[in-house]
Amino acid sequence: MSASTQERPGAEPAQQTGTYVYGMVAGNVELNSGVLGVGDPPGEIRLVRSGDLAALVSEVDITQPLGTPEDLQAHEEILDSVVTEVAVLPLRFGAVLTSEDAVAEELLEANHDEFAAALRELEGRAEYVVRGRYAEQAVLDEILSENPAAARLREQIRGTDPNATRGQRIQLGEFINKAVAAKREADTRLLLAAMKDRCVASVVRAATNELDAVYVAFLVEADQLGELEAVLTELGDRWQGRVQLSIIGPMAPYDFVGTLAGAGG
Amino acid sequence: MTIMQSGGASSGPSPSGLADVIETILDKGLVIDAYVRVSLVGIEVLTIDARVVIASVDTYLRFAEAVNRLDISQEKEGLPGLVGTMQEGGAKHKTKGVLDAATDKLRDFTDNGERERQGARRGRREAD
Repeated sequence: MSASTQERPGAEPAQQTGTYVYGMVAGNVELNSGVLGVGDPPGEIRLVRSGDLAALVSEVDITQPLGTPEDLQAHEEILDSVVTEVAVLPLRFGAVLTSEDAVAEELLEANHDEFAAALRELEGRAEYVVRGRYAEQAVLDEILSENPAAARLREQIRGTDPNATRGQRIQLGEFINKAVAAKREADTRLLLAAMKDRCVASVVRAATNELDAVYVAFLVEADQLGELEAVLTELGDRWQGRVQLSIIGPMAPYDFVGTLAGAGG
Repeated sequence: MTIMQSGGASSGPSPSGLADVIETILDKGLVIDAYVRVSLVGIEVLTIDARVVIASVDTYLRFAEAVNRLDISQEKEGLPGLVGTMQEGGAKHKTKGVLDAATDKLRDFTDNGERERQGARRGRREAD
């Protein structure tokens, strides 16, 4: 069965394909074949080498937009599987250059020393993101018991028509939102203090859910992973029934490359 | 050095959902146009802003509603943290229920540690 044999435009001056770049690794890395990347149909992951560096790339059809869930997952899965083996500088999703030559010359050669230094610094390290979510009931209980004013507001709106007490409801909700933010700040400080000297670096991510308790990216050495897990077990016990903790990783160091290979200016 | 499994299946423990992926790879990572100007292709990237706007009236109203629901589910039973100090009385069976549930949860989370601790306690008692 032959796939789409529709009429081809005779002359095609406009470029149809581009080179999607996932990230940079050391030049001596080898790849297994057959790994597919972003796009539809997805191209095979290849390495473009230059000096001590190599870029992970695949060919994409540039006439089609990128960004399906499959694309996003492919980008992350490729980088996250690489970081379990070698250091990698992850690019943000969506970087496409005109050709593999452009990747070699304009990306790798032009930034060779900076990228190579950053990769050396990342050797043996990976990112883990720690996320904690407040158990809603528990944190609301906590806030109401700590703040008589909020408890009084609650009494005022109890059993009333939501529209009639909309003002009080917004006031109460805003109060609670602020109180949650204050708890988030305190709990994040606690996590950072517990992780001090047990990680290479940390970045506090902005909360993206109103019940976020902690959301922090840690760059850790392979042999520090046990300590990170111990800290989380300890905090998990302490926050039992109050905060649900999870850890995502190992991941490519997305949160740390900005500072490592910062725009030279 | 060999990296990656054929087929792209990740073998590492990376249980991230799509929302986590979006928050990571659309928001973090090295930005290429700081380095490459000439041959960057302006491909259209469909981005979804999955972020919850945290400080909004909707959030406030949702919190207020959650507080309201709290009233119904919990009546005057008291806060979980206060249960231990409650006098035995009419609410005795209720209190017990709450404590049992809390203990179950604790056991779920710290399964090994808890069992070890119980074992140690038992051992000590036997030695006495």
